[in-house]
Amino acid sequence: MLQLKRFVLWMFLLAIVTTSYAQQSKVNAAYTFLQNSQLDSAKVYIDAAVLHPETSNDGQAWYLRGFVYKSIYNQKEKSDRQSASRLEALNSFKKSLSVDTSSENVQENIKNIKYLATTLYNDAGASLDAVDYKIAIDNFSKFLQFYALIDNSPENIKQKNIDFNLAIASVYTKIFEGDRKGKLEYLNLAKSSYNKVLELDPNNIGANYNMGILYYNQAVNLINQSDYDLDIVALSDIQDNSIKLFKESLPFMEKAYSLDPRRKETLLGLSGIYFSLNEFDKSNMFKLKLEEIEKQK
Amino acid sequence: MRAMIAPDQGEEANAKIKAIYIYNFTKYIEWPQDYKTGNFIVGVLGSNASLLGELNKMASAKTVGTQKFEIKNIASASEATNCHIVYILNDKSAQLADVVGKVKGKSALIVTDKEGLASKGAAINFVIVENKQKIELNKSNIERYKLKVAEQLVSMAVPVK
Repeated sequence: MLQLKRFVLWMFLLAIVTTSYAQQSKVNAAYTFLQNSQLDSAKVYIDAAVLHPETSNDGQAWYLRGFVYKSIYNQKEKSDRQSASRLEALNSFKKSLSVDTSSENVQENIKNIKYLATTLYNDAGASLDAVDYKIAIDNFSKFLQFYALIDNSPENIKQKNIDFNLAIASVYTKIFEGDRKGKLEYLNLAKSSYNKVLELDPNNIGANYNMGILYYNQAVNLINQSDYDLDIVALSDIQDNSIKLFKESLPFMEKAYSLDPRRKETLLGLSGIYFSLNEFDKSNMFKLKLEEIEKQK
Repeated sequence: MRAMIAPDQGEEANAKIKAIYIYNFTKYIEWPQDYKTGNFIVGVLGSNASLLGELNKMASAKTVGTQKFEIKNIASASEATNCHIVYILNDKSAQLADVVGKVKGKSALIVTDKEGLASKGAAINFVIVENKQKIELNKSNIERYKLKVAEQLVSMAVPVK
């Protein structure tokens, strides 16, 4: 009976050693395939290795997996802005970072995350148009997730958020202006993006100015789209709504003016808002300021 | 990445509001029978390109019964005599008395654009109340020209100061 127990124990230990050796050999095989540019085979072996409990927390295995997927991305999916291999690579480098904190490993992983995160950011920028903007949003969100691993500076992350939200707001505005009646939701999305910018940077001139113009144009449109048949009572309601919008526009434009009192677009904007509010003295005052600046040129 | 949005034209919106009002006047005010043939003439005394543009757009889209609109930019009170509506813009307000004299005995609706003119001969005067474009209406100045005004329009106007 004792002999049987010893046999079972030996068999168990042998199985552990064999399995461990087998997993390590899968990592080695993956490495060899990678060196020989046999990426599909390298992928099969490294995927199997990181799934196994024996190597699932091995920093080197995850690093190698990141490298394999990065190579696949570089060789086969570089033009794919939604590359799945790039994400696999990033997640693998991230995992490697979390399980192996040796300085050499950290540096290598950070270098690779930085490279791949930058491609995500660039692809987000390249997708900022009416057709691909959802890819831009997705890539930017993923970029932020990985960028936070390599750059802890809140200022840098804030600036990236500001730049992206300004850009996506422009895309939304363009879509809305292409069909003002049918794509009203894009006006709200544009406002929401500018609001995000202003939460991060209340003194952002571009966001203040554009926000002011969005409200201003909305008010002007409300009136200009009306039919001449409109009853006076209905006209009164439209005037009430447009006045409300002109007044919402005003603080943003005033803020942009306070930040740069010589900016021509802002002076023109303020003159237009006050004119629309039938405050002609104020409208003329900004018009005169604008004329003075233009004369000085 | 930091595109600037182009502003729309606020002047056109203000002009549109006035054009809508003027078209409404033709619905709430009745001219005598002998004014219901030929073109319906709106004479504008003064300069405002946006307003003239809007009135011309209205003229091409609407009629007064069977009458076509005709928008005329008139240079003096003497050109107001055959107009159904004479709209004296702010910069020509001083000519109100001349216009009143010229259209005496006719059926012209005199519309003005400056505070206080409803009590000085204008039938309808555009006024600003809390940023809003409204009208003052002097009923006797309408009826003096043999025009009939609907009570609905009277009730929507602000009292003459």
